[in-house]
Amino acid sequence: MGLSGEAMRWVVALIPLLPLAGFIVTLLVGRRLKLQAHLIPVALITASAALCVAAFAWVLEHEGEVFLYRSFTWITAGTFDVQWGFQVDGLTGVMLLVVGLIGMLVHYYSIGYMKEDPGYYRFFAYLNLFMFAMFILVLADNYLLMFLGWEGVGLCSYLLIAFWYPKKSASQAGKKAFLVNRVGDFGFTLGMFLAFVTTGTLQFTGVFAAADAGDIAAGTLTWICLLLFVGAVGKSAQFPLHVWLPDAMEGPTPVSALIHAATMVNAGVYMVARSYPLFVHTETALLVVMIVGAFTAIYAACIAITQNDIKRVIAYSTISSLGFMFMALGAGAWVAGIFYLFAHGFFKGLLFLCSGSVIHAMSGEQDMGKMGGLRKKIPATFWTMLVGALAMVGVIPFAGFWAKDEIIGATFVRGDYVVWAVAMVTVLLTAIYMFRLMFLTFWGESRADVHVRAHIHESPLVMTAPLVILAIPAALLGLVVGLPPEGGWIHDFLEPVFFDVESEPFQWLGEGGLLMLLSLAVALLGVYIAYVLYRRRTELPGRLAARLPFAYRASFNKMYMDEVYEVGVIRSTVALATWLWAVVDVKVIDGAVNGLARLWELFGERLRPLQTGRVQNYAFSIFAGMLVLVIVLAWVWGS
Amino acid sequence: MNPLEWWLVLAVLLFCIGAYGVLARRNVIVVVMSLEIMLSAVNIALVAIASFRTGVPGGGTVFALFIMALAAAEVTVGMAIVIANYRHRRTVQTDQYDELKG
Amino acid sequence: MPGGDFHPWLFVIVAAWVLVCALGVVASKKVMYSAVSMVLCFLGVAFAYALLHAELIAIMQILVYVGAISIVILFAIMLTEVQDGEYRQFFNRQAIAAAVLAALAAAAISVTIVAADIGPIGEKTLNPGVRELSSLLFDRYVLPFELVSLVLLAAMIGAIVLARKEEERR
Repeated sequence: MGLSGEAMRWVVALIPLLPLAGFIVTLLVGRRLKLQAHLIPVALITASAALCVAAFAWVLEHEGEVFLYRSFTWITAGTFDVQWGFQVDGLTGVMLLVVGLIGMLVHYYSIGYMKEDPGYYRFFAYLNLFMFAMFILVLADNYLLMFLGWEGVGLCSYLLIAFWYPKKSASQAGKKAFLVNRVGDFGFTLGMFLAFVTTGTLQFTGVFAAADAGDIAAGTLTWICLLLFVGAVGKSAQFPLHVWLPDAMEGPTPVSALIHAATMVNAGVYMVARSYPLFVHTETALLVVMIVGAFTAIYAACIAITQNDIKRVIAYSTISSLGFMFMALGAGAWVAGIFYLFAHGFFKGLLFLCSGSVIHAMSGEQDMGKMGGLRKKIPATFWTMLVGALAMVGVIPFAGFWAKDEIIGATFVRGDYVVWAVAMVTVLLTAIYMFRLMFLTFWGESRADVHVRAHIHESPLVMTAPLVILAIPAALLGLVVGLPPEGGWIHDFLEPVFFDVESEPFQWLGEGGLLMLLSLAVALLGVYIAYVLYRRRTELPGRLAARLPFAYRASFNKMYMDEVYEVGVIRSTVALATWLWAVVDVKVIDGAVNGLARLWELFGERLRPLQTGRVQNYAFSIFAGMLVLVIVLAWVWGS
Repeated sequence: MNPLEWWLVLAVLLFCIGAYGVLARRNVIVVVMSLEIMLSAVNIALVAIASFRTGVPGGGTVFALFIMALAAAEVTVGMAIVIANYRHRRTVQTDQYDELKG
Repeated sequence: MPGGDFHPWLFVIVAAWVLVCALGVVASKKVMYSAVSMVLCFLGVAFAYALLHAELIAIMQILVYVGAISIVILFAIMLTEVQDGEYRQFFNRQAIAAAVLAALAAAAISVTIVAADIGPIGEKTLNPGVRELSSLLFDRYVLPFELVSLVLLAAMIGAIVLARKEEERR
């Protein structure tokens, strides 16, 4: 089968347009449809997902080609010219698959999960809007259009995190997400400005050509990349702009799965990957990316091991995984990073949806301390979550293993031994916290409340089906597309995008194989440690925490990052704002305006006695004035 | 000082006396009378100039004639107003006519 | 000399008459005294016109001013008696300032006139007589003439309307 160029144009145009239409229609008629409100958005997103697959098929068929669809001129202002254009290449294809399929599954999952919610139609409208923005982001062929999608997903993130806005913590979490994102967006914008100023265009092809031709000064190019990376740090929750992601768990679980696992947070990684032709020329920026990624990975893992909220653990693990992806990009393992993104979308989305299922079964309880023994009671959820956990931890033959291993191997091969060590420790920690989660939730005696215990039930089919569907790629993706390492199908697929990346052929029995074995061993070690701590000698975690109070408290309190922000940034900003209000606004500006009014008032009061109402007084003034005139004129004419 | 200047100075003095009356007296009728004096002063000036200087044929005299006629009309209406006002306010004191006080 | 002979002494007498009577109008405490002074003043002005050889104007002055205007004013005085018991203050608060102003004005304008050295121009001519005046009025100045008659009509009507007694309203 082959898609003609004409048909492909329709496909590419409709992919974002269908969910946009869904958003508008659902907003308009959703309220009346009540529980049927999901029909239109779900149908449209299914169609969009199908089109994503079609687009992917096109890319498969036209290997190495880039599909360009330049539509209308969006903005013209003097020499500034931006067009609404889409491009589809290998990278886009991968992203479309992840976004489209997981987006679709989340929509179906939400039918069950949000059933009792009064804002049912609103949720689907927002989901569709989000899909629209995300598709735009991924399909854009220039930085400005990408930024439109970028901001759009930020907006939807806010709308969806604060979905249960009557709850104070939810609305605050939404605001926090938006504001922290904004900081990143600022960097992105500056990067765009710089790029435009130096190259005169914002289109990828244009900017990349300028970079390749050496038209951009080396220092400037580094700055552009660093600024763009700041945007990625915000959007993909890297240190220090990661603080919004854990709080974003206030939103409904499907939101966490979609936005904070599979799609939006990947936008940062995608953007850096897309800007590959820029980053390739600057060692400094790549180093920064790698270091930030590695640090974030281990940092988040350190926090995850003490958290009690099941969704928070997964949130921190997302931050850690994203750190891995950036580490990969920075270390030059571009394909490995995207491969990991691909796999991660599936298993992290799976983990979130499973956790949602667990919470649903536990009647809303999210504290793992109150769970336990769910293994027998919610088997479908258990087995799928196990698959996800194994994939996350990186156990052979699941997807996470192949991708993660490639990244780790790349760092070693490059000679960045410190980063390699950090990565290994992170793998260990990941395994520990992941299986801590599993053991606490599914094994042992139930520590739940009596009422809750009575209600534990498996989720409806509409929720479990997506779990199963996601578990399959989580399990098998690595085998299918990732083998052999460094030379698998995905590597060939993405080769045209990351054309300069060198990769040595993988040696099963040499260095490559050894590293692979080592990372597997470390992962299994982590699982074992978790088993010991949480199944066998369950008093140990408590004692360890008592022995290392400082470390425990630091980890439990998220390394006090929020407090750092509070003291460092928020207090001074609030103080400044208060000062501006109390002094500048009230005293100076209001004072000036009111003072001016008072001045005129005074003038009026002083001048009032002039109006005596008596004609003779007025006549006096006239006469006097006439006299003055006569004298003046006589003077003037006389001389 | 030629004769014309004498006449003009007389007219000025008369005018200023009348002006003083208009500005300083409380009885509105006296004010109107002073106004008539001012008009007469102007008339004198006009006729004097007409007498001593040629130019517009008969201009000064005719002008003075018209002023006279209009002064008569003005006094008539003015007095009517004063009477009507007196009926309402029972006063001819200019100080009391201050309803448009700001 | 144009305007006829100038008789300085006659001039001084007439001038003094006029000015003194004017002062009488302005400074008298009783309204009636002011009115009488005014009549005398008008007479003096008529004499002044006569001195200027503007005989017709002199006669008109007596007819109109002394004969009509003074009567109107006298009627008004009679119809607006000042109530007894009313606080008698004849000069208002700005009287002194007015006096100063008037004096200043007189001085300034007089000085200007003298300094400007306005003098007679032209040959000896007499003011227009009746014949000339009437031909002027009905020839050159017929428009203002007609308009003035309109004004007089309006004034008449206006005065009647303003001063009539108000009708009783049921």
